Amino acid sequence: MSSQAFTSVHPNAATSDVNVTIDTFVAKLKRRQVQGSYAIALETLQLLMRFISAARWNHVNDLIEQIRDLGNSLEKAHPTAFSCGNVIRRILAVLRDEVEEDTMSTTVTSTSVAEPLISSMFNLLQKPEQPHQNRKNSSGSSSMKTKTDYRQVAIQGIKDLIDEIKNIDEGIQQIAIDLIHDHEILLTPTPDSKTVLKFLITARERSNRTFTVLVTEGFPNNTKNAHEFAKKLAQHNIETLVVPDSAVFALMSRVGKVIIGTKAVFVNGGTISSNSGVSSVCECAREFRTPVFAVAGLYKLSPLYPFDVEKFVEFGGSQRILPRMDPRKRLDTVNQITDYVPPENIDIYITNVGGFNPSFIYRIAWDNYKQIDVHLDKNKA
Amino acid sequence: MAGKKGQKKSGLGNHGKNSDMDVEDRLQAVVLTDSYETRFMPLTAVKPRCLLPLANVPLIEYTLEFLAKAGVHEVFLICSSHANQINDYIENSKWNLPWSPFKITTIMSPEARCTGDVMRDLDNRGIITGDFILVSGDVLTNIDFSKMLEFHKKMHLQDKDHISTMCLSKASTYPKTRTIEPAAFVLDKSTSRCIYYQDLPLPSSREKTSIQIDPELLDNVDEFVIRNDLIDCRIDICTSHVPLIFQENFDYQSLRTDFVKGVISSDILGKHIYAYLTDEYAVRVESWQTYDTISQDFLGRWCYPLVLDSNIQDDQTYSYESRHIYKEKDVVLAQSCKIGKCTAIGSGTKIGEGTKIENSVIGRNCQIGENIRIKNSFIWDDCIIGNNSIIDHSLIASNATLGSNVRLNDGCIIGFNVKIDDNMDLDRNTKISASPLKNAGSRMYDNESNEQFDQDLDDQTLAVSIVGDKGVGYIYESEVSDDEDSSTEACKEINTLSNQLDELYLSDDSISSATKKTKKRRTMSVNSIYTDREEIDSEFEDEDFEKEGIATVERAMENNHDLDTALLELNTLRMSMNVTYHEVRIATITALLRRVYHFIATQTLGPKDAVVKVFNQWGLLFKRQAFDEEEYIDLMNIIMEKIVEQSFDKPDLILFSALVSLYDNDIIEEDVIYKWWDNVSTDPRYDEVKKLTVKWVEWLQNADEESSSEEE
Repeated sequence: MSSQAFTSVHPNAATSDVNVTIDTFVAKLKRRQVQGSYAIALETLQLLMRFISAARWNHVNDLIEQIRDLGNSLEKAHPTAFSCGNVIRRILAVLRDEVEEDTMSTTVTSTSVAEPLISSMFNLLQKPEQPHQNRKNSSGSSSMKTKTDYRQVAIQGIKDLIDEIKNIDEGIQQIAIDLIHDHEILLTPTPDSKTVLKFLITARERSNRTFTVLVTEGFPNNTKNAHEFAKKLAQHNIETLVVPDSAVFALMSRVGKVIIGTKAVFVNGGTISSNSGVSSVCECAREFRTPVFAVAGLYKLSPLYPFDVEKFVEFGGSQRILPRMDPRKRLDTVNQITDYVPPENIDIYITNVGGFNPSFIYRIAWDNYKQIDVHLDKNKA
Repeated sequence: MAGKKGQKKSGLGNHGKNSDMDVEDRLQAVVLTDSYETRFMPLTAVKPRCLLPLANVPLIEYTLEFLAKAGVHEVFLICSSHANQINDYIENSKWNLPWSPFKITTIMSPEARCTGDVMRDLDNRGIITGDFILVSGDVLTNIDFSKMLEFHKKMHLQDKDHISTMCLSKASTYPKTRTIEPAAFVLDKSTSRCIYYQDLPLPSSREKTSIQIDPELLDNVDEFVIRNDLIDCRIDICTSHVPLIFQENFDYQSLRTDFVKGVISSDILGKHIYAYLTDEYAVRVESWQTYDTISQDFLGRWCYPLVLDSNIQDDQTYSYESRHIYKEKDVVLAQSCKIGKCTAIGSGTKIGEGTKIENSVIGRNCQIGENIRIKNSFIWDDCIIGNNSIIDHSLIASNATLGSNVRLNDGCIIGFNVKIDDNMDLDRNTKISASPLKNAGSRMYDNESNEQFDQDLDDQTLAVSIVGDKGVGYIYESEVSDDEDSSTEACKEINTLSNQLDELYLSDDSISSATKKTKKRRTMSVNSIYTDREEIDSEFEDEDFEKEGIATVERAMENNHDLDTALLELNTLRMSMNVTYHEVRIATITALLRRVYHFIATQTLGPKDAVVKVFNQWGLLFKRQAFDEEEYIDLMNIIMEKIVEQSFDKPDLILFSALVSLYDNDIIEEDVIYKWWDNVSTDPRYDEVKKLTVKWVEWLQNADEESSSEEE
């Protein structure tokens, strides 16, 4: 549907090229061909850069609506790929900030000292007068210059965000040295997390501390990743043990810290992990008063609130658990491949901009996103 | 035969990615939208099979989705029946957009009646430029195609005679998805080259068959395996030689029984076909049973990442809930209705109070009333189900209407636009279409079928007793459409939704290979092939029974069964293979003598003791294998004959001991022995064997005389 809309609005060749890219990416998301938050975020930003370069609009609000439509179609293609929508919301926030600045400057030049207070209240309340003011703004200045400026602002925002995502680990590793003590035992139930892997390697290399890492096996979806994770840690002279999932409770009394990677962090401080079993590990850690650290890049922060947790958890194929059998006599199985960890089971989030309490996550969210863009669907806007 | 050229859809001239590739690296795909079968009648009288929905998605979408994921650049749809419907569908689908992952073309072949005709048509058109994928329009798979393509290219480098690669997936213990067209493959163990292909009879027909492999086919093969557990999903990567071979062998009809078997066996062509084996999910929807099984697998997420909540069609909005429940937006559920596991519900559907649905697929815009029970069923779009109905393991096509208190029993098929009145109860396996079949435009392949349809049409009336006074529908009898080769009643049960495990003969345990025939067969015309098959069948049956019978008796002796069990098995085997008691005696005697030989060879027992042991215990079998004097004489002749064949060290002692044992156990009477001896063969072959028996018979007669003289 969105692709059809794009076609009808812009029938020229350049738009068709962008539509080819959009549909290809949407199809990849639907078929689960792009894996991992990192890859999804970067591909989304590349697509967005091409989209904005080829976009045509009369008012900047048109551009914002087009980006929202694009984000909506991407989110529908893969509802549990949260980093896709997150990076689009970041760019939308950059654009809206720019619009707000222009509106402020226009108001200042045209009114007396008493007026700024009123216009601030208008902005705060998000009244629909804003489009009207934009029209004043466009009539007051050159339209071509305005378009180029907004396009440049958006593209620069995308480039900054790409740089930020690529240097996520640098920021997180700054804090690593202070968190891991000598001769400590760490447990990680998310061996597929690159952030956790680099976190641990940096702690070993920079501070030269000796610690032991326990890795849960993660049967049936993550066993291969667990073995590869353990092998990489061993290559960096980190003592590593792969433990069965059922042994976590028995071992938790000897564990000093639990470190988990995330797939998405919600505004309430809860998190979706990228494999199952993490929730029970964190529950067990809480029972033993073991601290739980969640490492996450800022691009994984999502402004959604998990009212309906089941919608956010992803389910995989049943063939991983049991061999195929006759449907008539079969034991039906559910293969959950992600897990939701409630905020009360996490002690601290470590991001590239610092460490935060789960109860403070909402503040970070509203620093980076606009309330109006939480739901990209037109019906919910 | 030149068909009408299809309408070509031109996409963008140059895609960014594609311009870098060579023309030879562009991957093409040929999709056979027609199966050239009639297993989905009466629904395929109205709609082509590839457009029938599976889990509310047309079947062809799964095939095209697989091709898009495989990186195909150009797709040709070969349309035969209902070609206009397929053409309209493709024109309105997302595959026709400028940014579709491949260019899609529909090719009309209205005169094609089999796969061979399609391949010859392709060769005439000259549109195949290199290797291409040959696939049918009803494939559902989640295989990683890049691995299969890699295997294909590797074999192509190693073997210059390589022309094709078949994709075969491993079946589960319950072979529901291979009850249609099962086959055994003989593969080279190291390279997976297909050495031989043998199609097997249906499990329900209880026939036995054998694999007859020409020893020359096994040249240069170190080790091979015979696989009977593979699902053939008809995904083939072919080189451009394949249409040419079909062109040269104009009698080739089927892709497997003609092309694969013919190419492998032919020494003129000298071409090779390889098999790519996979554990992933790869099946074809080719009968009602496979439709049912695959739907349940799909809902149970056994084909992940191919799942319903991926929304592979653009206008779908399915979301997943626990226990495999899929719902679109705008579904209206009453508070007291219960949605059980493995259920999909389309948008715009309303479900009333107290209704229970489980293991079912409900389409879009359906009206499901109150207090209805739906289980293991498929209800397509725009259906209306009245209150208090019970639907059990049935299929209801689009725009059908059921009144109140309707009961559909196991295996019912309700066609498009059928109306069923209130309070009707349909029997198992009832099939109803909205109009008589001939008027629906069904194509007739044979004149005989056409004549029979003419007769049926006269007899056909509105089936008031089934659909009710206000109903609309005609009974569809499927005998005509089923495979004409099979005439047994069990075969009729196969082509339904029913799962009758008791009636199915699921034994896969025995495959016999007849190595006696070394005569080489060349590719011949259709008539010659049929003639050869008839000969093979008649000879195979006798040989089959002899091997089976011997194995049965040997198994009974090995496991020390009691006599009644062994006799029951032998009788069952005799009746199933329709042989005489003469063959039964041959098999039994052969088995017994082999046992004796085994004892002597391993020096467990001496010759006399071995015979006494075996024949004392198992000789009683003959009491129920011979019933009059002639048959007992025949029995003794067989014993003598088989002793000569077995090449014992002391054959005379063996024969003597056997006859004494049978005489002592009252199996053979004295009179019969005298008559046999008077007519015994004077062939020099038997002189050595008879040496001891001569003395015994004389002694027997003397003993008789002494007894007579004492009485005097």
